[in-house]
Amino acid sequence: MSFFEEHRTLQTRRHFFGRTANGIGAAALASIMNPRLLATPSITSTADRQGVLDATHFAPRAKRVIYLFMAGAPSQIDLFDHKPSLSTCFDKDLPDSVRMGQRLTTMTSGQKRFPIVPSIFKFKQYGESGTWISDLLPHTAGVVDDLAIIKTVHTEAINHDPALTYIQTGSQKPGRPSLGAWLSYGLGDINENLPSFVVLTASWTGAEMAEALYERLWGTGFLPSRHAGVALRSQGDPVLCLSNPPGITSQTRRRMLDTLAKINQRQFEAVGDPEIHTRIAQYELAFRMQSSVPELTDISSEPQQILDLYGPEVTKPGTFSASCLMARRLVERDVRFVQIFHRGWDQHGSLPRDLRNQCRDVDQGSAALVKDLKQRGMLDDTLVIWGGEFGRTVYCQGKLTNTDYGRDHHPLCFTVWIAGGKIKPGLVYGETDDFSYNIVKSPVHIHDLNATFLHCLGIAHERLTYRFQGRDHRLTDVHGHVVQDILL
Amino acid sequence: MFRDAIGWTILILLLIESTLPTTYSADKQDEVVFNRDIRPIFSNHCYACHGPDQQQRQAGFRLDIKLVAYSDRGGYRPIVPNDPANSELYSRITSTDQDEVMPPEDFGKKLSREQVELIRRWIKQGADWKEHWSFLSPQRHPLPELQHKYLVRNTIDHFVLTRLEAESIEPSPEAMKTTLLRRVTFDLTGLPPTMEQMDAFLADNSENAYEKLVDHLLSSPHYGEHLARHWLDLARYSDTHGMHTDSERSMWPFRDWLTRAFNKNMPFDQFTIEQLAGDLLPTPSLDQLVATGFNRCNPSTDEDGSIAEEMRVRYAVDRVETIGSVWMGLSLNCSVCHDHKFDPLQQREFYQLFAYYANTAEKAINGNALTPPPSVKVPSLRQVKQQHQLREQISDIEQTIREQIAAVDYEEPYESDSVKNFESRAFIWIDDSLPTGTNPDGNEGANSWHWVAAENGPVCGGKKSHTRTATGLSQHYFTGAKPGLKIAAGDKLFAFVMLDPDNPPQEIMLNFKDEDWEHRAYWGRNHIDWGQDKSPSRLPMGPLPPTGEWVRLEVDAQAVGLKPGTEINGWAFTQFDGTVYWDKAGLVTASTPASHLESLLAWEEFQIAVKESSLPQSIQDILKIGRAKRNDEQQKQVQDYFVEHVYTNTRTKFDALHKQLDAALHASSELDNSIPSTMIIQEKKTDLRDTYLLTRGEYNKPEKKQKLQPSVPASLPPLPPEAPANRLGLSRWLVSRDHPLTARVTMNRFWQNYFGVGIVKTSEEFGSQGDWPTHPELLDWLAVEFMESGWDVKHMQKLIVTSGTYRQSSRVSPQLYRRDPENRLLARGPRFRLDAEMIRDQTLTVSGLLVKTIGGKAVRPYQPAGMWQAVSLTGSNTDTYIQDHGDKLYRRSMYIFWKRTLSPPTMANFDAPSRNSCSPRRERTNTPLQALILLNDIQHVESARHLAQRMMTEGGHTPEDQITFAFRLSTTRRPHDVETKLLLEDYVTHLAKFQRDKESARRLVSVGESCRDENLDISELAAWTMVANLILNLDETVTKS
Repeated sequence: MSFFEEHRTLQTRRHFFGRTANGIGAAALASIMNPRLLATPSITSTADRQGVLDATHFAPRAKRVIYLFMAGAPSQIDLFDHKPSLSTCFDKDLPDSVRMGQRLTTMTSGQKRFPIVPSIFKFKQYGESGTWISDLLPHTAGVVDDLAIIKTVHTEAINHDPALTYIQTGSQKPGRPSLGAWLSYGLGDINENLPSFVVLTASWTGAEMAEALYERLWGTGFLPSRHAGVALRSQGDPVLCLSNPPGITSQTRRRMLDTLAKINQRQFEAVGDPEIHTRIAQYELAFRMQSSVPELTDISSEPQQILDLYGPEVTKPGTFSASCLMARRLVERDVRFVQIFHRGWDQHGSLPRDLRNQCRDVDQGSAALVKDLKQRGMLDDTLVIWGGEFGRTVYCQGKLTNTDYGRDHHPLCFTVWIAGGKIKPGLVYGETDDFSYNIVKSPVHIHDLNATFLHCLGIAHERLTYRFQGRDHRLTDVHGHVVQDILL
Repeated sequence: MFRDAIGWTILILLLIESTLPTTYSADKQDEVVFNRDIRPIFSNHCYACHGPDQQQRQAGFRLDIKLVAYSDRGGYRPIVPNDPANSELYSRITSTDQDEVMPPEDFGKKLSREQVELIRRWIKQGADWKEHWSFLSPQRHPLPELQHKYLVRNTIDHFVLTRLEAESIEPSPEAMKTTLLRRVTFDLTGLPPTMEQMDAFLADNSENAYEKLVDHLLSSPHYGEHLARHWLDLARYSDTHGMHTDSERSMWPFRDWLTRAFNKNMPFDQFTIEQLAGDLLPTPSLDQLVATGFNRCNPSTDEDGSIAEEMRVRYAVDRVETIGSVWMGLSLNCSVCHDHKFDPLQQREFYQLFAYYANTAEKAINGNALTPPPSVKVPSLRQVKQQHQLREQISDIEQTIREQIAAVDYEEPYESDSVKNFESRAFIWIDDSLPTGTNPDGNEGANSWHWVAAENGPVCGGKKSHTRTATGLSQHYFTGAKPGLKIAAGDKLFAFVMLDPDNPPQEIMLNFKDEDWEHRAYWGRNHIDWGQDKSPSRLPMGPLPPTGEWVRLEVDAQAVGLKPGTEINGWAFTQFDGTVYWDKAGLVTASTPASHLESLLAWEEFQIAVKESSLPQSIQDILKIGRAKRNDEQQKQVQDYFVEHVYTNTRTKFDALHKQLDAALHASSELDNSIPSTMIIQEKKTDLRDTYLLTRGEYNKPEKKQKLQPSVPASLPPLPPEAPANRLGLSRWLVSRDHPLTARVTMNRFWQNYFGVGIVKTSEEFGSQGDWPTHPELLDWLAVEFMESGWDVKHMQKLIVTSGTYRQSSRVSPQLYRRDPENRLLARGPRFRLDAEMIRDQTLTVSGLLVKTIGGKAVRPYQPAGMWQAVSLTGSNTDTYIQDHGDKLYRRSMYIFWKRTLSPPTMANFDAPSRNSCSPRRERTNTPLQALILLNDIQHVESARHLAQRMMTEGGHTPEDQITFAFRLSTTRRPHDVETKLLLEDYVTHLAKFQRDKESARRLVSVGESCRDENLDISELAAWTMVANLILNLDETVTKS
């Protein structure tokens, strides 16, 4: 690390939830004299909390990202990748020429047959683009002209834990920073009273059992821990320990913090460590968060037509719809990266019943988010992403009947849609074979997808790096190509 | 006098305005040092294409080997010593031709003008070349001359002062006694000094007061805990498996082993060998086996569909990488997919290290059980004693039974042909299919019955068995059988079962349905809480049957409330955890005539007729032989069995003895169940796997043409002679005197604990991409001293904390701060935020709440509800956080239950690593989330109110004294008058408020589960609680200074 980088690291140590010692420290100290200043958002320049990049590598297409993550792997065949020719193949064996000995999970590798199961759901064409969408997603169908649907995303991992870790961090093995952490590290914060990376975990109804999530999916790996996603909780305090203890009013807390700052300031004068100023500033920011976060999570000011847009579940805390509205409120406040995790998409069996419920959970909220951002003029510089960690097999897992089937994990192709951020709207990208098994045109590896997301934010994915264990690591490891074809 | 000890007098700092570059490049007059100044440039800018990686090497030229770099390449030489103009390398880096210039434009890492100049000067000065410093054996360097010799307390200072003199910086004076006390107590025990320790140390004016203190701290049992806590980050210790289900695992005996090892000052070489290869030592002790848990700390999975080989490879790679980081400071993982780009490590050599872990005995997909084998039971001394007593008791009773049998003179009352013609009385109801008319059901609905044919698993009778693997409670069953199974008096229900030895359940249960399901019998732990325990609705049947064999379970129908005449129409096979196989199940009508309990002959005939016998296999086998053909011994066995278990005339005697025996066996099995186990590593004995290089690191792409043997990289010293080709050899190699890395890397990490930054800042990376040491000679000296002292860990800690360098004040002037913000030159003492664990432990200590018990299973203190549910796999045994109560809320933080997929929030927010992988170094951030925790978290508010309570009851009579008391406890120093005044004003304001609003006061002083002192005025207690909360939030309180 050159001297200059080193110096800057020391400086940026104090960003996100921490600012340069001089800037904020001074501001905070000034406000000790006038505590009132602290109750209102302060006017510190954003430069204080900038990321490691002095400037983006090129003009960004988007400033913010909302990533709707369907954990468990939604079935592309039943939702987006329409295969009408399969209708005549019910219970016929998947030709070996299609499967080509590809490795399977040990859940179906022992199956004697691989019977094809066409989707039980109807597809129709929607929008000016005439895009095929399954009946399970009526609301999504309504915004289809705003989406770029990529049908050819692929990965190598075939099980949830490694696959989730892979798409989120670029490595199947735990220990690397997540996409959101890289963005926070590279670009810093825009809002100064809220974290730059917020995570919401939504409730689900599709299956009683749901695959696990892991903190590492929004963790920082070897990046400084301040870049970790902050979980905004729907139960208890939205941010851990946000509320004062019982019996303590904001006024009492204010008085205590004033005295705390005075004694800390004396300590600074005695020992000269600028870290003390940073600490004073952090306590002030904590105090501001005690009002900015409740303001954020209070949706009582949302007009009825907005609530109606997100659907009846929007007022139930923790639902996917409520999370979508919260995501809009967060990006409105310039939180850079919001990720909603919705679980329960792992339909090895009972797919027709469970997938319907899952879609009911997310369809209206996802579409509402696109519409809402659009009507506010925010869709242009906000990237909305919808997708899972891999796809599902065309062949049936377990017992196949006329009304019931299951599908195993399928890494070779799956569907992700993107909206906003100057991505080509109304686009359907890539082609899979007749079995939604192999890609026949325009493959997009998950590294390519991540490279493209970074590109949209003005970052060359090869150039946002962090030296750890002697190596310059990046989100896309040594891979990744920006998918230029989907950019406007 | 301590305070004036020889000096470190305050000297005026030279006002040098430039900030100190951490690379410390030579300035214009100085000699350019290859390893410090030039190698990092080559490594970062050239080695990607001209380094150790054969695949990527361009133009066949490598710049990491001197011979190549200096040799003639057909008319030109890359480097000509003293002659930059004729050095091709220099021409290329200064070329303006786009096709010529190095590094090429598209490489994206241009050389700066300063770097080019450095290279020019280096060549000009003779282009002296040395191997990478950390690969050369450390040597004791001669001590240079010093001006400040009088400041030297030990050799460490000599090196530090040499550097300071070279930089013209003066050291700082010695820190105040109170500061030093707090610093060293935290550094050696992780805890703050108590009031008694403070008073004692301040009152001790002897010359060696500080040394005595250090010796005292080094002998504290909390010393071992503190060093163990640091090691947990390296070992990636966790209380859960870490992937998918992320269920609980039992590894804590390994954590306790670490504490013991540090406390008894186990030499570091032995410490290394026992952890990596304790199992391979000749006749390893239990402790040495427990130590090998280090190897098992990696995350592991149980995800359905995982491919075992892929996981096995991943775990072995993780283990090799961890050894690389912990002992060698090398990023070996770079060589998983290709030759290392910067260091002389070939991909093949990685897989030679990997070969040491190719044949470990555990299963890759391990069911996320509590202790997936191999594991060992780790009884406490008390338990060993109890076990011994019970064994004696059992053997005594058995002896008595044998004697009593011998004493019975049995006479057969019948003639042999008078007892014929018994019908088969056993009825198998469930075998390869379900009874007619039934509805299958269970956890997976209609698909709950998982049948297994003989080619896929164990089968006891017929063609198939049925099986289930569960985490927690799980079952399959049927209802609606028509016709049902009629129960007669004395009938017994039976089922055959086999428990998977690798993944045994904790409990199994049979449930029977007539009108309702209130008829249950269980074996093993009492986890399933249906019905009423010890009643027909939940009847305990004793311990689980042995694993790995078919065992016949039998339940007396009446004992589970099935009266004669009722009809069973449903049957459930239930389990808690584990994998269980079931087969043949049904009913034995046992309306044995009384005469057959009086006659061995009659009984034998009956038993032969009954197809489903519940007799021990050995007796059944003898019965099959037929009376005439049996030998005397066999006949005696049958008769003894009859006398002991059946014969009416001896029932009173043997029933009583059996009751005693059952009680003793039950106690013994309960004791066995309560003894903790811990995971260990062992080698497979058979079916050994060969190791090959894996192309691009992919598990399914071995390069079969060359089998690899376990070995170590060629660029490091060879294995010691006669080192076995296993982990034992590997661990001995790591701690051999020739190894250049182990001692350096370890000492550097110790140094980092004290000063915040290591002598090599990148404590995880000692390769050519790592940072240059600020004090290379000091690091070498420490490494040599460490090895030559016999790897004496305490000796080295003592050397560091008794050095003058460590004892300096941490006060810093703006000039010095600007020059050396990270204190790399050590012109002052350390000052940085305490680690997560230390902050919480301090809060508990000063409040008096800390429970100092050492060791044991993890505890679950306060945690906001819903955090685990938000991420966990439904049904995992860690999907819901069940908080502990009482003492367990107040244990040291190193014992907090560590769930790897969601680490304890109060730790993670203060930069504790996730423990997904080895972490040699923690970040130190300063965030508002930390402020919120210290201000509002239950644990911290509860501690504040207890500190307030102590202020009121122990702190003296005046408010000033009470403030001083709390201030000293938290910072070790007395508050200044201004500080006391500020806190007092706060107190008065808070008091007035709480006197007006007693309800708020009551609510505040009720935070947490501990009781409050009811004698204290509630408003005063609340007001002091706020003051205590403030003191516990002071920068000084959360900082080591």
